Amino acid sequence: MIGVTVAVLLGLLAISIPVAAVLGIVGLVLDQSYSILPLYLAIGEFSWAVSNDVILVAVPLYILLGEILLRSGIAERMYAAMMHWMSWLPGGLMHSNIGTCTLFSAVSGSSVATAATIGTVAMGEIEKHGYNERMFVGTIAAGGTLGILIPPSINMIVYGVLTETSIPQLYLAGMIPGLILAGLFMLTVIIGCLAKPVWGGRKIETNWAQRWASVPDLFPPFVIFVVVIGSIYGGLATPTESAALGVIIALGLAAWRRRLTWTMMRDALEGTMRSTAMIMAILLGAYFLNFVISSIGLAAQVNAFVTDIGLTPMGTLLVVVAFYLVLGMFMETLSMMIATIPIITPVILALGFDPVWFGILMMLLIETALITPPVGVNLYVVQGVRGRGQLHDVMIGAAPFVIALMAMIALLIAFPDIALWLPETLAR
Amino acid sequence: MDNLITLARKIARAGTWFGGSLLVIAALIIGVEVVIRKAFSLSIGGADELSGFALAIGSAWSFAFALMDRAHVRIDSLYVVLPTRLCAFLDVLGLMALTGFMALVTWFGYGVFEKSWAFGARTMSPLAPPLAVPQALWVLGLVMFMAVALLLLARALIALVTGDSRGVQRLIGSRTVAQEIEQELAELARRGDAGTGTPS
Repeated sequence: MIGVTVAVLLGLLAISIPVAAVLGIVGLVLDQSYSILPLYLAIGEFSWAVSNDVILVAVPLYILLGEILLRSGIAERMYAAMMHWMSWLPGGLMHSNIGTCTLFSAVSGSSVATAATIGTVAMGEIEKHGYNERMFVGTIAAGGTLGILIPPSINMIVYGVLTETSIPQLYLAGMIPGLILAGLFMLTVIIGCLAKPVWGGRKIETNWAQRWASVPDLFPPFVIFVVVIGSIYGGLATPTESAALGVIIALGLAAWRRRLTWTMMRDALEGTMRSTAMIMAILLGAYFLNFVISSIGLAAQVNAFVTDIGLTPMGTLLVVVAFYLVLGMFMETLSMMIATIPIITPVILALGFDPVWFGILMMLLIETALITPPVGVNLYVVQGVRGRGQLHDVMIGAAPFVIALMAMIALLIAFPDIALWLPETLAR
Repeated sequence: MDNLITLARKIARAGTWFGGSLLVIAALIIGVEVVIRKAFSLSIGGADELSGFALAIGSAWSFAFALMDRAHVRIDSLYVVLPTRLCAFLDVLGLMALTGFMALVTWFGYGVFEKSWAFGARTMSPLAPPLAVPQALWVLGLVMFMAVALLLLARALIALVTGDSRGVQRLIGSRTVAQEIEQELAELARRGDAGTGTPS
């Protein structure tokens, strides 16, 4: 049963059948082969249930929030402010890249949107200040991945819905790892620029007057963060409601900056609905597959199989981590997450690992997948924004940050409290 | 037939605007609901339920646009190194698989609507809207997807049989890396005015 599932799943994915259809077909095959009752008769009910799931409403709303912010001009001002505050470090603006990505991650739920937004703003600075181009684009590709680790996060919502894990808890758990990871990225830049000072570009002149003058430009992202995240923990709003409030504030902000036009809204809506339709189609397949897998007792079989191998829980976890690192090189990340959660998560949870903690580990693995070649969406996005040179420059530039991510994954496995301390402390 | 595809593209795009607008309206209603609930301890109730309907209808009405825009994710690690002829074959196979699965969703989705209609099912919320209404709009979106998918499938099959592999790829091929970049650049060029105010 396990062999058939994995073979059909990977086989169909490899010949580039759309992921949504693959999940549905695997569900149908398992249903036909192993189920006593015809489960496919329930496809309608499941499809309707997933389509109007109130928690999932947060997904398009966060995407829309990002699309509006991307077009509202707040990123430019944020970047300028971060330049005044962070460029004194060895590596100059590369720290501003990471810093702006970190801030933007706190209002954006998507890594791709974060990399695209900050990349658009930052790319012109490479030649102006003589930076090492590879490392510079690497900071944007890697910094962008923070988008899904620092709340809000679209991937955490999908993980939370599929594994029935609390999304507010996941959000809290992502904050400290997010900040540590941003620190590790900056450390990577510092090490690189101390070893090769020429990479760090020319010094940028700034002073305290300019620094303080730039502070008001950090207010818009701060306000959105307080509204979107604060409203959840203030007990004012559910994640979905907070996303709606975020959209309203972003619309107001865009209007204030005179960027709110019909053309802008139309582009934002098309972008939002294209991604939403893509995600919802995959979830239609995934929900059905999830249901079939639990009905035919596949998860129990996988558990028995894992027990038979005789690995320790930690050994199994490391195999899972290795599996995701390899799969992540070749697979689009959200589909990878949705396709594997129904099979992998029950095993991990049965071994006694915490679902919130594993969610954060999953985010880190996805972040790695976003910047590991040959298929790494953030690499493509940054190369697209850059619009010149070779894709492999971005791949090489991002490589040191893959090491930083590995270090973070190791830290999280060695010290689970990095993720769990904040939710456990605040839950009491 | 190609005129028909152009028309379908327009309709599919209009579908996303409709679907997207529903979600924006849902966001506004939720916003009002949250403020009223906190400020006056009142609840109009059912805003979350309505937003769920907006998601269902909005995404169903956008499936066709995503299909024409080739946004439905496929894993193309292997695809990009295969010969064009084989790719075209896989494109058609992939579209058949997606259409087939969505046909099941649409068929049984219609069954869900029919049941709600026959029993006059309502939700448990204070608003208690009849479920058949949002479900009908949802199924309508799925039907639109089916129509567009079958049209594309027919056109792609003709292209495949006549040996026009490039034509198949243009119509329903996987978004390759190059196309992704091209689109991203086009987006940025359109957004060119957003580049002002960069720090120097």
